[in-house]
Amino acid sequence: MQLNITVRLARYPHAPGRRFSEFRVGLEERMTVLDALFRVQREMDSSIGFRCSCRVGMCGTCAVLVNRVPRLACATRVAALKADVVTIEPLPRYPIVKDLAVSLAPFFEQWRRTLPAFRPKDPDSPVPARIPATSPFGRLAASKRDCITCGACYTACSITGTNTGYLGPAAINRAFLRLLDPRDAAGDDRLRVLDAEPSGVWRCHTQFNCAAVCPRGIDLTDSIGRIKRALLRPRRAFKE
Amino acid sequence: MIGSVRDVSRKYRWQFSGMVAWVIQRVTGLLLLVYLLLHVRTVSKLSEGPEAFDAAIATFRSPLFRLLEIGLLATVILHALNGIRITLIDLGVGGDRQRHLFWALAIGVGAIVFLAGAIPMFLFGIVRG
Repeated sequence: MQLNITVRLARYPHAPGRRFSEFRVGLEERMTVLDALFRVQREMDSSIGFRCSCRVGMCGTCAVLVNRVPRLACATRVAALKADVVTIEPLPRYPIVKDLAVSLAPFFEQWRRTLPAFRPKDPDSPVPARIPATSPFGRLAASKRDCITCGACYTACSITGTNTGYLGPAAINRAFLRLLDPRDAAGDDRLRVLDAEPSGVWRCHTQFNCAAVCPRGIDLTDSIGRIKRALLRPRRAFKE
Repeated sequence: MIGSVRDVSRKYRWQFSGMVAWVIQRVTGLLLLVYLLLHVRTVSKLSEGPEAFDAAIATFRSPLFRLLEIGLLATVILHALNGIRITLIDLGVGGDRQRHLFWALAIGVGAIVFLAGAIPMFLFGIVRG
């Protein structure tokens, strides 16, 4: 016997008094939320709007709110939700384009402020830089560099909800990666942005919501904490 | 209704326990502020003479206030242990184990310390009081 689930989709622009559309979808083994969305679009309502690209959790395009938690639709199995009703909404804090599709403009506005691009100390050097595996960059980069800019952490962070100027966890983590990099030359400029009030790292209340929802498992709160300590003890920055 | 409570409980029990800890810290902080104001007001009765102070203290001997005292104990313990957890994380200790720290230190150790204090308070303050 095939089990059915109810998929509740947030619609935008929505009809007066009707914010959600409901669909009954047959549950299949290993079915993801994105599979369910495609099933609805192909078989029930071709007008629903959502975004996706890689379908394997690499691009971050399909991040949505599933049962009130930010998740990647392609990496979330419906069965794992253990719910008869799956409510899918667009990520909060972002302007909605249509239904589940949002514009990540506020996210990237903050992202750009931290000077995310690599700025080499010696751009013309013919000798490749040697970075020991035991250096802070060597030890920490692997666990911090997998951000796919899905915007889930920015949505889950309660500070971005009350302070639209706050940099947000992903942008801070990106700056942290650059600060660790011994080849980078823009450290002071980045630290100035990170130390600024009321948009810098000091706004973080250590709630761990960003780390809880990151689909790549990056401990973003840890990156923020390390920057805070580095700002307080500049001489010992990133030595621990 | 029960289903949604179960879902929320499942979600916040582990995945968002950092948020739960943060809310607990704020709520207990506000409760302690209320207690502090009440405490200052009671002590200020000393300036009105011994009778006024004794009358204020007598109010706190009622069973209701004895129960509230046990609640105060829970509030202080939660706030203190959760505060230690936050301090450790800010110092760079145990950040990757923050959920365990919350459940083991703030809730687990907190429950043991609370029971060690609350049982005598209840027995000698309310039952035999």
